[in-house]
Amino acid sequence: MHRFALAGNPNSGKTTLFNGLTGSTAHVGNWPGVTVDKREGVYKKFDEPIAIVDLPGIYSLSPYTPEEVIARNYILDEKPDCVINIIDATNLERNLYLTTQLLEIDVPMVLALNMMDAVEKRGDYIDEKALENRLGIPVVKISALKGEGLDKLMERAHQVCSVIRYGKTVIEDVALKHLIGDIKIALEGQGVSNPMFHAVKLAEFDEIEVLMHKDTVNMVEAFKKSHQYDGFGDDFEALIADARYKYITKYFSPTLKRKNKEKFVVTPSDKADKVLTHKIWGIPIFLVILFTIFHLTFSENLFFLGGLLPEGWVSFEGTAFEGVFGAGGINSPGVMLMSLVEILTTFISDGVATLLATSPEWVSGLICDGVLGGIFAILGFLPQILVLFLFFSILEDSGYMARIAFILDRALRKFGLSGRAFLPMIMGFGCSVPAMINTRTLADEKEKIATVRVIPFFSCGAKLPILTAVSGAIVGYFGVGNVDFITYGMYLIGMITALVAVVLMRETTLKGDTPPFIMELPAYHAPQLWNLVMLLWDKAKHFIHKAFTIILASTIIIWVISHFSFSWNYLSDDLMHQSILGGLGQLIQPLFTPLGFGSQLNGMGWVFAVAAITGLIAKENVVSTLGTLATCLIGTMIDIESDGGVGAVSIMIANTGITLPALLAFIAFNMTTIPCFAAVAAAKGEMPNKKKFNWTIVFWVITSYIVASALYLIGTAWWTAFLYLAVAIVAITIIKFTNKKREKIGK
Amino acid sequence: MQPIEIIVIVACVLIVGGVIFKAIYDKKKGKSSCCCDCSKCTKCYKKDQNDGGENN
Repeated sequence: MHRFALAGNPNSGKTTLFNGLTGSTAHVGNWPGVTVDKREGVYKKFDEPIAIVDLPGIYSLSPYTPEEVIARNYILDEKPDCVINIIDATNLERNLYLTTQLLEIDVPMVLALNMMDAVEKRGDYIDEKALENRLGIPVVKISALKGEGLDKLMERAHQVCSVIRYGKTVIEDVALKHLIGDIKIALEGQGVSNPMFHAVKLAEFDEIEVLMHKDTVNMVEAFKKSHQYDGFGDDFEALIADARYKYITKYFSPTLKRKNKEKFVVTPSDKADKVLTHKIWGIPIFLVILFTIFHLTFSENLFFLGGLLPEGWVSFEGTAFEGVFGAGGINSPGVMLMSLVEILTTFISDGVATLLATSPEWVSGLICDGVLGGIFAILGFLPQILVLFLFFSILEDSGYMARIAFILDRALRKFGLSGRAFLPMIMGFGCSVPAMINTRTLADEKEKIATVRVIPFFSCGAKLPILTAVSGAIVGYFGVGNVDFITYGMYLIGMITALVAVVLMRETTLKGDTPPFIMELPAYHAPQLWNLVMLLWDKAKHFIHKAFTIILASTIIIWVISHFSFSWNYLSDDLMHQSILGGLGQLIQPLFTPLGFGSQLNGMGWVFAVAAITGLIAKENVVSTLGTLATCLIGTMIDIESDGGVGAVSIMIANTGITLPALLAFIAFNMTTIPCFAAVAAAKGEMPNKKKFNWTIVFWVITSYIVASALYLIGTAWWTAFLYLAVAIVAITIIKFTNKKREKIGK
Repeated sequence: MQPIEIIVIVACVLIVGGVIFKAIYDKKKGKSSCCCDCSKCTKCYKKDQNDGGENN
């Protein structure tokens, strides 16, 4: 099977082309660096299937970043049958810089001019025939987004893939060309493949090449001594880069005919950026946008209409729509959909309960209270998770997320954080695992470790049910605030914790310079509907799959060990505290006493303790465990029956005697403690050694304990805030003093 | 013991056993049990991470 590799600059549309060719649904983001590893798919339109490899976006083949090393190694070592060099045609000259490097490799190549729709919209024209003649490889105009020109591209690639192509360079300087020629002959004599590429890289003094071809390095060094170039001295890397750009400007630029002759044109994106990336208003605008998203997802009083309009205007109280549209105000789309799911799950629960009415008590208990109670407590949140991710995806697809990294870089650079580290952190809102994998794009190891450690604080989709269920209980039981405000506030607490933790680490154990951050801001564009649909479909599929595998198994185990004693006798709901789970929970519940959900809850602390521990498997387990236990326990607490689900969790929480600060501490603990197994495994994979990984686990435990206990203690006795403040001031003073002392010793 | 009790016990054992077996099997094959956005990834991230590669 032939293998074609897709190579190009970040955000040039490689993954969109990959999806278009292979029918895959790989994650596409409108920011540079979404793909950090190569991935494979199959193009099936020819008689013989063709493997398509999507390489991470790169600006050059120099080993500056891990992505560049991955792409370089793949093309040189795996020897694909053809390289499809996809370039953003709206930025022709800059993208062709990589092309000039790829041309030096002995591999068949095709150039795909992507985003031609945008070029034509501007009224510009690219003479692809002239470009083709100059480059010596086929050039095809495409629009990966619209699927235009893809078949022609593959046909041309298929035609050239069996034809041998030798690398050639665009460097025209006579002396330099002579040096490269001599190195090439020497390398050919040593039997090195891709001699032109390696010769140019050796001339650049590329660190990988220098290590690999020690014998030939002397030749370059001797040449360097005899040649000094104006402006560049003996910096041959800069010299060669300059030579490439000169060639591009001289021969390739004329193939682009611009309608607007002005060199700098203010685009609508530039105008939008003047507001959205404003140095003062940028961050407040981001916070307002974030709140609007939470409001549209979680609010039960959309746009606060319930309080603004006369009573009865928007109230559906007492009507058939009360459950869906809300009473005393209009529900947000997220809550409306959630209510519909609840109606459905209640119907199913009632039906199953009727069917099992004559079955033994333990059977109906296991199925209705255990399995359905747990699963439905989680499934009820699926609509809200999807609505939230729809909004996040719109932000990402539009190009706004890339701006957030830019805004935050400017604000937090002095604290040792670069904007590049924020991109994986923002990805953490979706799932910690791909976010941690994305940290591979961070070249600075200390920054990478710090970023991996704080990614779980950016609340992922799996933690959303915890936030919403407990926030719902807070609103319902204490009558405090709105669910959207509380959820938004807890997200902010997570983000602030992450920032404080990174700053502390960068000032102490992971001290180092802030790496430079250069990022191309992609142009804003309207989100692609298909992209959004596929993303939500993937999310829903993954969530449901998890609900009916890990969570289903967990609910069964939780129910069984909460209804059997250590001597394996069946226990009814009112004796659950004597069960295996109850016993273990009561054993560990003192650990959570300083956080407000331990021993002080009159024998109910074990429920929260157990829920927090089961969350280590998968965070959805926290609410499913509460759901399972709540459905069983409610009847023993108050004289009502529950259909299970999230409603049962709220009722149980309300009857445990837990306080408001303790509930907030419970959310905070689960948000900041050790993440799920999968994320822990991903973190282990990204850490440089076992010691760093072990410290990461300790870091999560300590941070969650500090954050949750602070919330509980300050919420319970406000004056303790001064104690925390005093401790913080002392800690900062000690750190500053120690750092200054170290700097003095260093000098 | 009623038939429904036997059915429920067998089903529970199969579900719990299946999930645990799948997790162990995936781990042995080097796959991660994660994958949200990276669900379409055909290569395990751990495998990719060790991709040093050698230029020749």
